[in-house]
Amino acid sequence: MFPWTMKLRCTCLAVGLFAVLCESSPAQQSLPRTADGKPNLQGIWQARSAAAVDLQDHAARPGMPAGRGVVEGGAIPYQPWAAAKKQENFTMRQTADPVGKCYFPGVPRIMYLDYPFQIFQTPEHLAITFEWSQVYRLIYTNGKPTPHDGIDSWMGDSRGRWEGDTLVVQVKGQNDKTWFDMAGDFHSDALDVTERYTMRDADTIQYEATIQDPKVFTKSWKISMPLIRQKDKARILEYQCQAEAEEANGAFERDPRTWYPKPGSTPSPLGKPAAMPPAGALPDVKTGANLRRGADGKPDLTGYYQSNAGGANYGLEKHGRDFLTPGTRGVVIDPADGTLPYQPWARAERINRELPYRGYDDPTAHCFVAGIPRSMYVPSPFQILQPPGYVVLLFERMSWRIISLDGRPHLPDNIRLWQGDSVGHWEGDTLVVDTANMNGKTWLNEVGDVVSHAEHIVERFIPTADGKITYRATVTDPIAYTRPWTIEIPLNRQSDELLEVACHEDNGDLQNLKAVRDEFRAQQKKEK
Amino acid sequence: MRIGNMGAILVAMTVLAGSVFAHHSFTAEFDQNKPIKLTGKVTEMKFSNPHSWIYMDVETDGKVVNWALETGAANALIRRGWKKTDLPAGTVLKVDGWQARNGTATANVSSVTFPDGRRLFAGSSNESAPTK
Repeated sequence: MFPWTMKLRCTCLAVGLFAVLCESSPAQQSLPRTADGKPNLQGIWQARSAAAVDLQDHAARPGMPAGRGVVEGGAIPYQPWAAAKKQENFTMRQTADPVGKCYFPGVPRIMYLDYPFQIFQTPEHLAITFEWSQVYRLIYTNGKPTPHDGIDSWMGDSRGRWEGDTLVVQVKGQNDKTWFDMAGDFHSDALDVTERYTMRDADTIQYEATIQDPKVFTKSWKISMPLIRQKDKARILEYQCQAEAEEANGAFERDPRTWYPKPGSTPSPLGKPAAMPPAGALPDVKTGANLRRGADGKPDLTGYYQSNAGGANYGLEKHGRDFLTPGTRGVVIDPADGTLPYQPWARAERINRELPYRGYDDPTAHCFVAGIPRSMYVPSPFQILQPPGYVVLLFERMSWRIISLDGRPHLPDNIRLWQGDSVGHWEGDTLVVDTANMNGKTWLNEVGDVVSHAEHIVERFIPTADGKITYRATVTDPIAYTRPWTIEIPLNRQSDELLEVACHEDNGDLQNLKAVRDEFRAQQKKEK
Repeated sequence: MRIGNMGAILVAMTVLAGSVFAHHSFTAEFDQNKPIKLTGKVTEMKFSNPHSWIYMDVETDGKVVNWALETGAANALIRRGWKKTDLPAGTVLKVDGWQARNGTATANVSSVTFPDGRRLFAGSSNESAPTK
């Protein structure tokens, strides 16, 4: 920034009354803008405030550094009963804070948790992907109302519009289960949040949220804070709150055969990848003629999709129904006989995972993210966005994939992720995505098809017609398999919008699966 | 239940099994050797993901037990026009299903009917047979 720009802005702030001058300050005139002339919010950001701890001025407490408040006027205007309730929440915060239990934070709290997030901007949407538990927000800026009115959710329904250079977002339909901060500030299901995103300069967004909730407050109130561009970050990573908690408390157990080795540990004998022959030749699939194209000339894949997975979530190889486990038509196209080329130990493990006591070990039973390629064929929808430089996938089961198209290398080997690190490029009209840095914690489906941390995935999104994609994933994993293999699944665009899956928040099944596992272990102990 | 909704809901529920998503193995959680048939009064319809639950009071030998009956995901129900209020407390239902292996009053639902035989659900909470 030029010194004279700084000086002008300082002057504006000082005189206040002439704030209108600031609206057209040289800093704002030089804002990055999108092709349609809007301020370009795309990038990696993080709030700079003490709001995550307490929205109001606060002295230090254990695990809660002191900080200044972000509430305009200083105090939250609680009704008398609500002020008492807030005090009770504060007293109980160690056990009662929903975010402490890894529940969705709601809006605005997700915006100022102490984790970075990435904004993607298209003319129709603003997508915000958060490092914290891979939560995302999909803000519709296309002027359309929600097709699913009258339902509530943890993160609400967000609709945005531009007022000049400010993006204004209305958030409605949030439930009454989230808090605003660690200090127990709370709301009811009558909450309405109006957010305002105003770029002050290329690296600062002023974020404001106006809170209305006539059941809890005597009047509306407002918070504001800067969001700062994280110039040192080329990517956001993952913090899977519940998975980390369950690994730490032993509820989710390490499998040394598939998980990435612990630092300093001796890798298991299975942990040394073997050399593999190349993948077999695959039948050719032609990309469609006259495909709809985006501004960059590439096929327009954007939209809401369902995979026609043929039961892949219940097995990649063809099999019939088994009690409550549906059959699958078989989605393996290489090897040509549809059989996965397992190493003997991995085939044995796959068979063992079908035993009832192993149902608890499937990470998705814990509501952890599905991994790659499973995210693409779990039976729930996903959204594809194509903001400049990326393809972004948002899964209804609350996780995201950010596929960068700028040719960057993969992350260092020792950074391992549930959804891996994906980089993509176009080969003609086919999107090719290379994914590495997998953590080896995921199963490929409910019957337990195996992958390890050596998993490397090459996916091809082949648009055969508008709204029709032939999806192929070639998996190379020399720890679990003797050669690479490939699955093929059609992806179909539909007309709908994503809803929210609050899985861990409402997971009534895990205790039953755990009981089956625990009973098996008790029986084994008795027999010994 | 309001009769006006019934047609839509019956249609909705007969296709529900086609796209409800599972997130864990039902075969692992429920017992093929414990088929159950229950008649009782709905106490709550919990509209949730990854699965919804119908809670129902069932009287056996003068003792009332509240059963948790697992059904499809809220999102699948919403997409088929269901609302939270469509199965009010007090509704009498007959339920076929499979009890949890752990022996608690928990079951996976395979069919639900009203006392007059009209079918509320078809299929269980799992995805349908594959198509190709």
